[in-house]
Amino acid sequence: MSHLKFLSTAALGLSLLVAGSAHAAEIKLLNVSYDPTRELYQDVNTAFAKAWKAKTGQDVTVQQSHGGSGKQARSVIDGLGADVVTLALAYDVDAVANSGLIAKNWQTRLPNNSTPYTSTIVFLVRKGNPKKIRDWDDLTRPGVSVITPNPKTSGGARWNYLAAWGYVLRKFNNDPAKAKDFVGRIYKNVPILDTGARGATVTFVERGIGDVLIAWENEAIFAVKGEHGDFQIVAPSISILAEPPVTVVDKVAAKHKTVQVATAYLQFLYTSEGQEIAARHYYRPRNEAVAAKYAAQFPKVQLFTIDVFGGWTKAQQAHFADGGVFDQIYGAGR
Amino acid sequence: MKNVSIWLCCALLALPAAVRAQDPPPASVDEKLEELDQKIRVLDRKIEIDKEAAAEKAKTAGQAVAGKDGFSLRSADGNFVLKVRGYVHFDGRFWVDDEKKPQAETFLLRRVRPIFEGTVYKIFDFRIMPDFGAGTTVLQDAYLEGRFNPAFRVRAGKFKPPVGLERLQSATDILFVERALPTNLVPNRDLGIQVGGDLAGGAVSYALGVFNGVVDLGNGDADTNNDKDVAGRIFFQPFVKGAGPFKNLGFGIAASQGDQNGTPTASSLPSYRTPGQQTFFSYRSDATAAGTTVANGTRTRLSPQGYFYRGPFGLLAEYVTSRQDVRRDLVSDTLEHKSWQLAGSWVIAGGEPTYRSVNPKTVFDRAAHTWGAFELAARYSELTVDDATFPAFACITSSARSAKAWAVGLNWYLNRNLRLMFDYETTEFEGGAATGDREDEKIFFSRFQIAF
Repeated sequence: MSHLKFLSTAALGLSLLVAGSAHAAEIKLLNVSYDPTRELYQDVNTAFAKAWKAKTGQDVTVQQSHGGSGKQARSVIDGLGADVVTLALAYDVDAVANSGLIAKNWQTRLPNNSTPYTSTIVFLVRKGNPKKIRDWDDLTRPGVSVITPNPKTSGGARWNYLAAWGYVLRKFNNDPAKAKDFVGRIYKNVPILDTGARGATVTFVERGIGDVLIAWENEAIFAVKGEHGDFQIVAPSISILAEPPVTVVDKVAAKHKTVQVATAYLQFLYTSEGQEIAARHYYRPRNEAVAAKYAAQFPKVQLFTIDVFGGWTKAQQAHFADGGVFDQIYGAGR
Repeated sequence: MKNVSIWLCCALLALPAAVRAQDPPPASVDEKLEELDQKIRVLDRKIEIDKEAAAEKAKTAGQAVAGKDGFSLRSADGNFVLKVRGYVHFDGRFWVDDEKKPQAETFLLRRVRPIFEGTVYKIFDFRIMPDFGAGTTVLQDAYLEGRFNPAFRVRAGKFKPPVGLERLQSATDILFVERALPTNLVPNRDLGIQVGGDLAGGAVSYALGVFNGVVDLGNGDADTNNDKDVAGRIFFQPFVKGAGPFKNLGFGIAASQGDQNGTPTASSLPSYRTPGQQTFFSYRSDATAAGTTVANGTRTRLSPQGYFYRGPFGLLAEYVTSRQDVRRDLVSDTLEHKSWQLAGSWVIAGGEPTYRSVNPKTVFDRAAHTWGAFELAARYSELTVDDATFPAFACITSSARSAKAWAVGLNWYLNRNLRLMFDYETTEFEGGAATGDREDEKIFFSRFQIAF
């Protein structure tokens, strides 16, 4: 069997050669994120690549993928090779963790429950506010056309929905029946459901549909400062504190041998430079000094957290699971 | 009563006005236009979203493709592919000038081979090819190949060992209906594991494998002993990356070696066939130890080989030696049989020859006055059996000492998928008859080939 030994040795040698050549390749990360973060992460990626190069001498390229948060989570579960996920809500990251790709304790690995910035939900209306939208009640009026994406696919849409629901609970002393009726009347005014927040912004801003867009605060400010027309932001009396989380996708990063650089990438979001970039893109920074510096650009809104609903898992099950409250009110309204 | 009637009439008259007063104020023309405009925009946007969703779905949806290369199913990322291909050879064999025809003249389905091949998980290819030709069922190919790197592929299963140049050529690409005499001395198909790949951009190809070890011309499905053959081939195409005159020059050397030991009932020795598929050489065999020649040790094959194609002309040459330790009863020896061939082709119209057949520049279309490609071919080959074979190990009255064959042919490539072939081949023998030489074999072949 000396022939076999020779063959085995040759095969092993060639395998090592192949593995060695692969190791020398450029570092690449894939950040799978939700819809409105395109511009934020373009800037973050450039800044991080520069900082990483200065620190280690290595070149790193961060590729981006964007879409509705729930849909993005599903893609990662189905095999999209994300080194990190930066999604709209913790439930979507939990879904990826439940598939075994991320450690269950992912939320404890970075400060602030792994949410380096926050946002909230506001209204974007046309200049002059012709339909006189001032608070959530105005979205239930007949004749008011409301634009919001589909909570089944969009994380932002789920924040929108829960923000409205939380408002009613406070107004009507935690009466779920009244909340269901109220939110149902809002969705009767929704003529079209986009799959993601950016799509809904396109519908409202670029296609000129609707009287009010329920939007991420950063997305609304982005639209106001954009080039597509005259809009203004209306801050409701109460809204929800949206905490978009970030984490390393452990198994993928381990396979890609990118755990170290992926972790550094997310830690960069907490640095002063990362926080400044977030603030410049109208995300509310966690860093107090940076938050104070940019306070003027954010409307004053009374905020409640997801804890009102008992956390994301309970909220998801009650409202957005198949046959949940959203299906009942939206199906009934169609 | 009169007053009541008056009040009732007044109330009835006033009712419509009261009802109207509760209605929303009538919409102005501008408001109606605005409402219609919004409805149209919503419809447009819904269509837009549907299109986006369809485009997104198309990215993840598989593709079904039908074309000249066969039929295939492919996942959106290309990591999973199933191809259904195949070919059929419908042949005619007609003896010329033979007083006693060695076999009935016949049409036959020489090869009927559906091919199922594909890819799983991006780098793992498979191929399954049965053959239903000539009224029998034979599994020709069944293997899995991992493409880890262009320079490193691993193949396991049943396939052609890397020895004979013409044998390694697909049956759909060979120049003549039947392969030349040197194919007798190389293995046809065997089970084994092989590493191989292309180096320097394809300038160097190598293959090295361990196989069960079939006899010359053998096609085996299981081993008959515990020893294995090692087969390897290195092939050079030094100018393949350029566009110069020697771009299609290839040459190399192949070899195999292994121990083979036969028994009177399973001799582990081959027979050799003429182009007309008639046996012209076989070892002594009567199922007894005294009367049967058996393999008795090392078998070594060596084959320098090469081809050169330029413009309308092509040349293919190979030389094979097969050296085998044999024994009959108490007599043993080492026999070395030799064979070689030289084949030339000239595409007189419509294309250029390559090792992988002719790709016609036009397809046969009478209306368009295009005819595909036409190719003329000529070949000489011979096989010489070791002198020491006779009389101890083979009988000169039934086995020829040598065979020399020359052939001419015409190939008409109607398109990539269809080919008509017409060959004439004469084979002369030394020995192989009760008195003197076996009668020459003169045969006319025709073939209709469809391959997809």
